Amino acid sequence: MKDKKLTIVTFLCNWCSYEGADKAGNARLECPANVRVIKVMCSGRVEPQFVIQAFKEGASGVLILGCHPGDCHYKKGNYKTIRRVNLLKKTLKQFGIEQDRVRLDWVSASEGEKFAKVANEMAETIKQLGPLSELNILEGVDYAEA
Amino acid sequence: MQERIGVFVCRCGPNIGDKIYVDSIVNDLKNIESVVTAKSHNLPCSKEGLEFIKDEIKKGELTRIVVAGCTPKMYEQKFMDTCEEAGINPFLFQMTNIREQVAWVTPDKALATEKARKLCLAAIKRVSLQEPIERKEIEVKPDVLVVGGGVAGLEATLTLTSKGRKIILVEEDESGETKPRESAQFRKVYLVEKSPCIAGVCGKVEEVYQTMECAPCMLAPELQEVLQKENVETLTFSEVEEIVGSFGNFTVKIRRKARYVSEEACIGCSACFEPCPVEIPNQLNGGLSDRKAIYIPYPGALPNVPVIDRLNCLHLNGKECNACEQACAFGAINFEDKDEVIERSVGAIVLAIGSKLVNPAQYPQFGFGKYDNVLSAIQLERLNASNGPTSGKVLLKNGQEPESIAFIYCVGRKEIGYCSGICCMYMSAMAHHVKEKLPNVKIYSFYSDLCLPKKEDQKVFEKVLDKGVEFIRSDGTEYVDHDGKKLIVKYKTESSLKSKAVDMVVLAPPIEPSNDIDKLAKLLDIPLDEHGFFEEEHILMKPFGAPLEGIFIAGTCQGPKDIGDSVSQGSAAAGKILSRLMLGEKLELEPIVAEINEDICCGCNTCIGLCPFYAIHRDAEKNISIIDDTLCRGCGTCVAACPTGAAKAWNFTMEQISAEIREVAK
Repeated sequence: MKDKKLTIVTFLCNWCSYEGADKAGNARLECPANVRVIKVMCSGRVEPQFVIQAFKEGASGVLILGCHPGDCHYKKGNYKTIRRVNLLKKTLKQFGIEQDRVRLDWVSASEGEKFAKVANEMAETIKQLGPLSELNILEGVDYAEA
Repeated sequence: MQERIGVFVCRCGPNIGDKIYVDSIVNDLKNIESVVTAKSHNLPCSKEGLEFIKDEIKKGELTRIVVAGCTPKMYEQKFMDTCEEAGINPFLFQMTNIREQVAWVTPDKALATEKARKLCLAAIKRVSLQEPIERKEIEVKPDVLVVGGGVAGLEATLTLTSKGRKIILVEEDESGETKPRESAQFRKVYLVEKSPCIAGVCGKVEEVYQTMECAPCMLAPELQEVLQKENVETLTFSEVEEIVGSFGNFTVKIRRKARYVSEEACIGCSACFEPCPVEIPNQLNGGLSDRKAIYIPYPGALPNVPVIDRLNCLHLNGKECNACEQACAFGAINFEDKDEVIERSVGAIVLAIGSKLVNPAQYPQFGFGKYDNVLSAIQLERLNASNGPTSGKVLLKNGQEPESIAFIYCVGRKEIGYCSGICCMYMSAMAHHVKEKLPNVKIYSFYSDLCLPKKEDQKVFEKVLDKGVEFIRSDGTEYVDHDGKKLIVKYKTESSLKSKAVDMVVLAPPIEPSNDIDKLAKLLDIPLDEHGFFEEEHILMKPFGAPLEGIFIAGTCQGPKDIGDSVSQGSAAAGKILSRLMLGEKLELEPIVAEINEDICCGCNTCIGLCPFYAIHRDAEKNISIIDDTLCRGCGTCVAACPTGAAKAWNFTMEQISAEIREVAK
C-alpha cells in the first residue's frame, strides 16, 4: 500500500502521449496505479507552477510526456517544454528536491509499450526516492491565484 | 447559482465493471457537495445510454456533466452533443478515462478503484470550474488571391471558380409584386502574375514528360478558361505589395505595372514589333534571340497583349521615337500609362510563385558562359520549342546542326544538397525530342544516379534508350574543356579518366527558390525552409498549407516537383479553401483558444515569439499583446509562459488544471 501514496502526477499532451497511454491500455500492458493522468492540449501548456503545485499537494513525482521533438502537433510546443523543464529541474535542486522526481519524455500515439515502460520506470525511481519530505518553502502559496 | 453536477460511471460491460468496484465509487461520489446525480450505466455511449443521460439531465436539472468511461478519443464528441441537445453547453462536460488508462492496465482491483475514484474526483472539481464556450463565427470573404500563373496557380484558380452557389433573389417587379428569382453567387479569384503572360515555365516547354505531348496544346484550354471566366480577374505584369489581415479577411495591395499598351484596345496583331528600332537579348528565350522594346515573351503567350520594356524603350527614355504608336491601328499604345496600385479583399491566399533553375555559371567547371554551345537545360528547351528563337530547330551558334551532344545530369546537386527529382526525366524527354528531329545526332548522357520515381518514368527512359541515347555512368566529377574545335567532356568512370568530344553540352542544373520568395515570406511573415523554399505546415500531412492559417502553398515554391504534382497541390490547396470558406457561410473558429486579458498584460511580448502560428501581435498603442482567434490553435504555450497570468487558455485554465492536480496528487 506504500506505492499508493507515492503519487506521480502525469501530464500528457492530447495528440501523441495521451493516445500512447491509451495504446498501453489496448495492449493490456500493466502500468502503475500511482501514475495519474492530467490531459493538456500540448506539453508546452505545462507551467512550472503545475509541477511545484503537484509536489506541494503531495505528489512524489511528476511525469511530463509530449510528442517526439519534430512531431509536435503545434510544431514547436515540446521544444519550449524542454527549456522550461531543464530550468525548473535546476531550480528544484536548489530547494532540495531531487531532479529525478521530474521526468520529461516523448511518447508517440503508437508507443503504448514505451508509455508503459516510462511509467513503470518512473514508479520504480519514485519508489527508490520515497516520499518527498515536508517542504515549508512550498507552504502558503495558492497556486490557483498565482 | 449552485451548480448541479451529474456523474455517470460506465461499466462498459465487464471491461470496467469487472475491474473496478464501480458501485463503491458511485456511492462515494454521491456524497460530494454539488453532485446531484451519480449513477453507473452499463453502456452510456449506446443510444439507450445517451437517452438515459438526457433524461437524468432533465430530471435532476443538471448543469454540468462528468462521464467516466473509455478514452475521450472515442465518444467525447457524442457526449458533448448529448449535453448540447439537453440544453447544457458542451464545454460544461468533462470525460475521464477509467478504461484504457485504469481498468485495462491495473490488475489489482482495489488499486484500480482507488485510481478511478481520484480521477473522477478530479473531473468533478474540474468541471465545476469549466466555463461555457460559445462557438464563434466570423464573416469572411469567399474570394481568393492566387499569386503565380503557372500550372499550380491555374489549377487552383479553376478549382476555386468551377462552381457557384444557387441563391434565390426576391425582387419587386414593376407592379410592386415580389417574385423569387433563381440566381447564382460566384467566388472571385484574383490571379496575380508577375510576368506579362500566364502559363509559367510549362508554357515555354515544347514536349513534356511523361506523356511527351505538346505543352502549349495541353495548357491551351486551361489558359483560355482562366482568361475568359467572368469571376477570374487575371492581373498579369502585376506584383503583390502589401498584405494585411488574417484568415477570412485579408486586404491585399497589388501593383499593376505600366504596360504602356491598353489591354482593352489591343487586338494582338503584332504590327507594333517590326517598326521598333531597339534590339536586346530575350531573357525568356535564355538570351538565345533578340526582342524589341515592345514585345510579347514568346509567340502564343497569353494574354496576347505586348508590353513596353520601360528600361529600353527610346520614347520612355526621353528620345524621339513613337514607331509603335504609329504602327498601331487601334490606338492601343499609351506612353502616359502609370503604375497603379489596386486593393482587393480576399479570405485566403494561394502562393504558387514557382521557382527557377540555378544559373550553371555558378559551377565554372562546366564552361557555361565561357564556351559557345554549352547550354542550360532551359536554353535547349527553347531551341527545341516551335515557339522558340529557332522555330524549333536545334542548332549550334554557327547555325549548323550538331553532330554530337553531351547531356550532363546532376549539375550542382551536391553543392545545393537536394535532388530536384525532375531533371532526369526532363533531360530524357529532351533527348528523345532531339533524336526525333536529328536522328543521326549522337547523344551521350552523363549521370551518376538516375531518379525515375513515377509509374510512367521507366517507360519513357526505355524509349530514350531505344532511340540510341548512350548513358554513361560517371562519378559526378565531369568537367568541360575546349580544344579549339570541339567541346571536350572529361569524366571519370570506375576505372579511369576519359573524355568525349562533342559539339554541344547541355547542363541540368537544380531547381532553386524564385527571387521573389523572400519578399513574399516577409510580407506574410511566414517561414522559409533551410533551402529557401516556403516551409509547409507539415511536409506529409499538410504539404500545401503554410503555418499561417489561410495561406496555402502550391507547386515548386514549396520544393522541386513535376507538373503533375504541382497541379495536384494547386487543386488540394483550392479544395482546402473550398471546404473552409464556403460561399454564403460564416467561418467557425476553433473554440479552444487562448486569450489575453488587456488589463493584466504588461506588454512584455514574451508570448509573441513563442506562438508557432503567428497568432499573437503587439498592440503598440495599448502596449499589450493581442491574440488573433482566427489563427490561434489553442496549444497554450503562450499561457504557460505568461509571467503576469494575463494569458488564459480556454478550457485549460490555471484554475481548472490546478483543481485536477489537487485531487490526483494526494
